[in-house]
Amino acid sequence: MAYRRPLLRTAYEQDAAILPTWFQRVAFFLLVFTFGLAALGAPFLSGIPSFFLGNTWINPITNMLPLGIAALGFMILVGVTGQVSIGHAFFMGVGAYVAVSLGGTGDGGWKACVPFHDEVGLLETAGQCGMGLPMWIWLPAAGIGATLMGILVSPAAVKVRGLYLAIATIGLIFIGLHLGRMLPEYAGDFESGRKWPKLQFKFWQEETPLVDMTSDGKWFGLIHLTEEQKQFFFLFTLLLIFGVITKNIVRSRTGRALQAIRDRDIAAEVMGVPEFKYKLIGFAISSFYAGIGGALFASYNGRVAPIQWSLFLSVDFIAILLIGGAGTIAGTMLGLIFVELTPEVVKKFTEWLGDQVGGGGLVGWFADVLLTQGPGDFGPISLTPAAPGWPMSVFLWNFVIFGVLIVVFMIFEPQGLYGIWVRIRNYWKGWPFSY
Amino acid sequence: MSIAEEQVRTPSVGSGAATVASLAKGWADRSPKNIAMREKDFGIWLEYDWAETWDLIETAAHGLLALGIDVGDRVSIHAEDRPEWIILDLATVAVRGITVGLYPTNPAAEVEYLLKDSASKVHLGEDQEQVDKVFEIDPNEISAMQTIIYVEPRGFAGADDKRLLFWDNFLDLGREHRKNNPGAVAQRMAEAEDGDVMTLVYTSGTTGPPKGAMLTNKNSLFAMEKIIEQQDAYPDGKAPNESDQILTYLPLCHVAERIFSTWTMLAGGPTLNFAESIETVPANLREIQPTLFFAVPRIWERLHAGLIIRSGDSSPFKKIWLNAGMKAASSIGKAKVANGGNHTAKSRLLHAIFYPLIFRAMQEKVGLRHCRRAASGAAPIAPEVLEFFMGIGIEVYELYGMTENSAVATCNFPGRLKLGTVGEAYSGIGLRIDEETGEIQTAHDGVFAGYWNKPEKTAETMTDDGWLRTGDVGEWVDGTHVKIVDRMKDIIITSGGKNISPSEIENTLKASPFVKEAMVVGDGRKYLTALIGIELDTVGDWALRQDLSYTTYRDLTGKEEVVALVQGIVDDCNEKFARVEGLKKFRLIPKELDHEDGELTATQKLKRSAMIDHFGELVESMY
Repeated sequence: MAYRRPLLRTAYEQDAAILPTWFQRVAFFLLVFTFGLAALGAPFLSGIPSFFLGNTWINPITNMLPLGIAALGFMILVGVTGQVSIGHAFFMGVGAYVAVSLGGTGDGGWKACVPFHDEVGLLETAGQCGMGLPMWIWLPAAGIGATLMGILVSPAAVKVRGLYLAIATIGLIFIGLHLGRMLPEYAGDFESGRKWPKLQFKFWQEETPLVDMTSDGKWFGLIHLTEEQKQFFFLFTLLLIFGVITKNIVRSRTGRALQAIRDRDIAAEVMGVPEFKYKLIGFAISSFYAGIGGALFASYNGRVAPIQWSLFLSVDFIAILLIGGAGTIAGTMLGLIFVELTPEVVKKFTEWLGDQVGGGGLVGWFADVLLTQGPGDFGPISLTPAAPGWPMSVFLWNFVIFGVLIVVFMIFEPQGLYGIWVRIRNYWKGWPFSY
Repeated sequence: MSIAEEQVRTPSVGSGAATVASLAKGWADRSPKNIAMREKDFGIWLEYDWAETWDLIETAAHGLLALGIDVGDRVSIHAEDRPEWIILDLATVAVRGITVGLYPTNPAAEVEYLLKDSASKVHLGEDQEQVDKVFEIDPNEISAMQTIIYVEPRGFAGADDKRLLFWDNFLDLGREHRKNNPGAVAQRMAEAEDGDVMTLVYTSGTTGPPKGAMLTNKNSLFAMEKIIEQQDAYPDGKAPNESDQILTYLPLCHVAERIFSTWTMLAGGPTLNFAESIETVPANLREIQPTLFFAVPRIWERLHAGLIIRSGDSSPFKKIWLNAGMKAASSIGKAKVANGGNHTAKSRLLHAIFYPLIFRAMQEKVGLRHCRRAASGAAPIAPEVLEFFMGIGIEVYELYGMTENSAVATCNFPGRLKLGTVGEAYSGIGLRIDEETGEIQTAHDGVFAGYWNKPEKTAETMTDDGWLRTGDVGEWVDGTHVKIVDRMKDIIITSGGKNISPSEIENTLKASPFVKEAMVVGDGRKYLTALIGIELDTVGDWALRQDLSYTTYRDLTGKEEVVALVQGIVDDCNEKFARVEGLKKFRLIPKELDHEDGELTATQKLKRSAMIDHFGELVESMY
């Protein structure tokens, strides 16, 4: 055919294509390409993120990537299967501790990993569990461990719905925190945590890793990269892979069954979609993502305390989903970028404002009004990080901003940032008509 | 015709005459992998390539032989447009049978008449609904009918009529026959003659009962040569070819759709895409974006009305652009109409500005962005509608013809277009306008072989010197173009002795998106009046905007505001005509006209006598 006819479908494959139009394909690859070039330090492209995030912008962005994998899992559970869960941080924690138990180098060796020894619950325990296995074991195992935990929990999910499920899953967080306190052999010190295995590929326990992502140097003998760049590319590739897997799950038979459950579980059951089976599958997939995301997150950060797997982390995912747009991968990614990077941008901005105080002019006046310099000043933002009460620190202001945003999005645009994009797109799609 | 095209015509089997069946075989031999047909099923367009299509045709032809179809036997098809229609049609021609098409909307009484008149031997009723119409007929009345093939098995589980045969079983029958008698179909095809009647096309019957016009193989090939393959009829100078897409949606039993889909596909090789139903035509148009598009005026009016309604619903910002675009379209339309369909410098500039802004999106929404030739025919169309489409860059060429001359008469050609006329006679055909009566008459190879079983009617339609009387009154415009005044029978003579052509007035009324039907009354009366049927969609939409609540169609027509709205349209219309042609009064028809109730023909044309019968009181109330 001489002309392109985008609406002419001659096979279901066209209907379910990941990137159905030529425009989307080009846009997607350009986006990925741009990210890659920016990370390599291409002059103009890397200038944009560094304007917002400073010269070390690659760190907050890389930190965001494992959370993105976990967020995709959360999207599958909440956005696709419709099961509101607040226990996502718990499953991330499970993954992380499976990873550290298998891959970490504890002074207790494998003996400390044996459960039910005499000294359960005692902080004075000397040994830390860690078998020092390579990444190709601990990373999948992290996912599988979390999956098993998800399957264990899912029967409860079939019994309770909606808000009750959300409340029930909060319980998981507290169980997790308690276990973190009780089992220092795995979790390390409750406040300061322990060291995670590094992001490096080893065949077994040899000295020099096959691929090292924790030091600067040549990669595959081809290109000289810094440690940050290596980690970025590694995690970025993983996120892409998990994104594609997610898309494939959503558009497959399983995905359609999950969506049927979301839209009305009883109706789905009547249609022949086994509710129990697919809720279980939903939890299992979501927990797998969480486990992988948790393990990578902890491994990238190097040292994580049990307190990190808290309610705040779960709420982050809810913010990501609601602000970005539940049920879509693009929305999840938008939400991820927004929720994870906004605090950094705000922090950078306040720092910049702090420099402007007293600088005169409109900016100086503005900075002076906004910031609190000391007692007696009335600005709402405090520059001292730990300041309790009014004025609030930037860190606390972020919570306020997200809280307000979640409420605003719930009321005005339940489809989130992605919904706004869809509206804009439909506005021009319908041109010059409204429908 | 060039030598290359001459070869296309040469049938590949034996030495029989070229028929639509031999053309299909030719395509299967030359380009077996090209897509011949597409049918939408469960949201997906299933494709039939030529090899597959021909295989099905040949199998069906063997099936017909197995059912005992002899030369000249009739096979009737009562179905919506679907691949089986074309397959059985071509299979029938392959075995030298005669295809009889029935309109899907034909009510049981008409089905009975048509089946009795044609005495068809094999009947295809696509589903239970259509087959039930046959079951209503006493089997002894149609004793010729031996087999009723059905395509949709739903609803046939308990049926035990021994005439019934499922389509798949019919094909199995054909396969078995082919195995036992290989070459039997090829043999029949080789015996085909130019003069073989290939189809009976029943006229719509606005006056008497429908008459079956016999079209021969020669007629069909002549129609292809004149209507389809005239390169100068296409703005880009290219006759239909394999890259063209056609949307098939009008009833295939009508000669116009037969020409513009089946015969075009066979002549040039475009792909036929079957619309799901007449309701989904706008959506299917957007999907298929056909390159060749033929529509009856009703469809053009609906597309036009759809655009107008949607413009009204646009958001304020879009409206600003739309209004500007509409103004430009109107200006471009006028300029092109005055210039034979060609751009002037100013209209070209306007088009260049507004095409990317408005027109391209509009064309895409209508589904005609890639359309390289659009045509209108089968009924008179309001010039205003054509002007609108011309303004937004879709040139619609009005053409004229009738069943009895295989639709070969006149056509508007690009660059020489005259709005309000039906164009120029095709080159090399005989076309004249009788000086006394003003009747258009034609003489060429496309003129039919006569009416089925009605020699006296055939004689009536032929002049003494062998020309076909079309029954349409026409006049020459500038000596080249033909303008149709009206059907001869419809001309109104008022009691003042004035001759008035009602269709011109009716079409001006129908150009308004609010008016669906209009019938001017006044034969033997002092003044003209009209019965007007409103378009439920548009008037309903209008009423919503006016905060006017209504329940039914009848309720809506009774509203004073609606009467006032139509009064405005009538007043506008009166301004365009001489005083004697003005409408003094009008009444709104309180129901939607329907084929089933006998007010419309199967082609949605008004049956004037039936209208007077049904709405006599309304008419009398105006005098």
